[in-house]
Amino acid sequence: MGSMEQGSVSCNFLSAKMAKVKRVIDDARDTQNPELDLVDKGIASFEEMPGLFALANITRLSLSHNKIESLPPAIANLEHLEILNLFNNHIEDLPTSLSSMPNLRILNLGMNRLSKLPRGFGAFPVLEVLDLTYNNLNERALPGNFFMIESLRALYLGDNDFEFIPPEVGMLKNLQILVLRDNDIILLPKEIGDLQRLRELHIQGNRLLVLPPEIGTLDLVGSKSVLRMENNPWVTPIADQLQVGVSHVIEYIRSETYKYLYSRQMAAGVPPPPPISDKSKKISRKKEN
Amino acid sequence: MSSSREVRSPPAPKMKGLEQSFLYQRRQMAHAQARELAASNARTPLHEKDFQAEFDKIQEIMNEVGGVTPLPKTPRSFAPNLAPPWQIRSPQAERMRELSMNLGASECSRCHEGFEPNEKVLNSNGELWHPQCFVCVQCFRPFPEGVFYEFEGRKYCEHDFQVLFAPCCGKCGEFIIGRVIKALNANWHPLCFRCNMCDKELADLGFIKNAGRALCHECNAHVKAAAIGKHICYKCKQVIEEGLLRFRGEVYHPYHFNCASCSVELNSDAREVTTSRPGYSANQVNELYCLRCHDKMGIPICGACRRPIEERVVTALGKQWHVEHFVCAKCEKPFLGHRHYERKGLAYCETHYHQLFGNLCFVCNQVISGDVFTCLNKAWCADHFACALCDTKLNQKSKFFEFDQKPACKKCYEKLPIELRRRLKRMHEEQAKKGSV
Ligand SMILES: [Zn+2]
Ligand SMILES: [Zn+2]
Ligand SMILES: [Zn+2]
Ligand SMILES: [Zn+2]
Ligand SMILES: [Zn+2]
Ligand SMILES: [Zn+2]
Ligand SMILES: [Zn+2]
Ligand SMILES: [Zn+2]
Repeated sequence: MGSMEQGSVSCNFLSAKMAKVKRVIDDARDTQNPELDLVDKGIASFEEMPGLFALANITRLSLSHNKIESLPPAIANLEHLEILNLFNNHIEDLPTSLSSMPNLRILNLGMNRLSKLPRGFGAFPVLEVLDLTYNNLNERALPGNFFMIESLRALYLGDNDFEFIPPEVGMLKNLQILVLRDNDIILLPKEIGDLQRLRELHIQGNRLLVLPPEIGTLDLVGSKSVLRMENNPWVTPIADQLQVGVSHVIEYIRSETYKYLYSRQMAAGVPPPPPISDKSKKISRKKEN
Repeated sequence: MSSSREVRSPPAPKMKGLEQSFLYQRRQMAHAQARELAASNARTPLHEKDFQAEFDKIQEIMNEVGGVTPLPKTPRSFAPNLAPPWQIRSPQAERMRELSMNLGASECSRCHEGFEPNEKVLNSNGELWHPQCFVCVQCFRPFPEGVFYEFEGRKYCEHDFQVLFAPCCGKCGEFIIGRVIKALNANWHPLCFRCNMCDKELADLGFIKNAGRALCHECNAHVKAAAIGKHICYKCKQVIEEGLLRFRGEVYHPYHFNCASCSVELNSDAREVTTSRPGYSANQVNELYCLRCHDKMGIPICGACRRPIEERVVTALGKQWHVEHFVCAKCEKPFLGHRHYERKGLAYCETHYHQLFGNLCFVCNQVISGDVFTCLNKAWCADHFACALCDTKLNQKSKFFEFDQKPACKKCYEKLPIELRRRLKRMHEEQAKKGSV
């Protein structure tokens, strides 16, 4: 008896929730509003948003703070979509079709449960900002063409599980912002020095001992630049310079002394320190049940 | 089996080093040949005089070993570089019988000792063996599952046969387990057998032997056409006999296109016109016009050098330009299709636009004309200053938090997991401390 009552209660609740969502979608259709906000509506699946894919003209879809588990391939039918925000959902898989969206410029997949990206993910034609903060990604989870998104201005990979950053990162010629905060990164590739437009580099909270001297060629300490590098087990000379400020670090890694130290360090193959942070409690981890 | 007599052990086997094995030497030779072939291919110049292509066939052999498939199995033929002189025997095909009859003058094929009465004897293809003598010549262990491989009168267990004689890839030199591609007198992993020019995998596409190299059909056609001074159409992949059309860096038969103005089928006199929109790199528009329509538009004169433009025309800033003369007003580097930004009738590269005028909106990446929000090392136009996590609009009065140098509204920030908020807070405090030093 009791369980039946409970069932009917949640059923009513579901239909009320869906009615609300439906109203938002109907409104958008009637008013021709190209921007759709469905933030924090308890949505668990795209089936709870009937009529969404008929809104062929929307340019922004914000679905943050829901419980969406997967993205249907039909998402690519929203041809005019420029901004897709899925921050804080339960997404584990992405459809391949996502990368074919012809106008998608900003994609936020932060705080989901992604452990891999689909094959061909790097095929986005005009993507400028990609946010993958706080997922379960590492270097093995990236498809081969990941760094071919030439139009990319900003790449957010903070709070993931990377130990290495592939040298192909140097192919992102338009990159201005690279966030690698709080991963397990042991070594940065010298190709980061190829990112001549980089103005923001966040590498704090990793397992870095040294920086490739090539980073010294970037403009990371001007008034329009950001360099965050605290919470790494830096070798003493870098740690000492960091005490006085990041501009001193950059000046130091440009010196011949440092280049020598760096080559020695590389030749010696000093083992990296073990990971410090326990990440098992992250909400991006798959829930057991 | 039932007898409990002492078993005399066979004469102590003499273990020869692997490098003394005749087979090993032959394999090393074949290997060296494959390497030499690969090296000579690498040396072959592209404009090889002898462009006559031979069709060559890919032969494939599935090479299933390594205990993937359970019994019953019949060992398959391997595919080494040489004609296979070995035999492979399976106990299933040819059950070995245990003979307990009186064998008189018979002797063991290995140790050449006789057999005691009632002693267990193995018969394999007419040869008799003490069970303890019927072992792999390499590792001296019995044959797992009874499967052995015979070569030049010697028997090997599957593992050692694999190590000694499995084919080696002509490119990477590693053993090939699984699918073997036999081509150009060598063996290849399917992933290692690629077009010598474009690196495409050839295992399933087939290939053409061209001057000792393997080429895909497309590259071969290109090489052939280049040798007679012709091009291949990017669209239909056929040779362009006469009159080609260049469009977006590729060459085509002109008849694949129509004039953007009058729709007439184009010939090789057609002209490519590029219109460059400020701020975009992906939205450059290239169009083709027939000569008549192009002339009606007037022979374009370059806005920089004042000379007529014969080849590609760039339209921007209300003028037309030679591709190489449409340059940044500050550094004078040509944009060559890269995005440019306009201000007061001049075009700038992104770097110099930034340097001189600042302020592209982080969201729309366009020059901000009205109100500007600047914080977190970025700028936003009034329409686009919003929470990065939920897209809720922010204004001067909104309280927001910094998250990786992006704005997060209070509601969103409070939804972040506590452990993350704690880390962000600690980071901020450290940053603030450093700022005050
Ligand atoms: Zn053996
Ligand atoms: Zn190979
Ligand atoms: Zn090819
Ligand atoms: Zn053609
Ligand atoms: Zn000119
Ligand atoms: Zn410039
Ligand atoms: Zn804007
Ligand atoms: Zn928000």
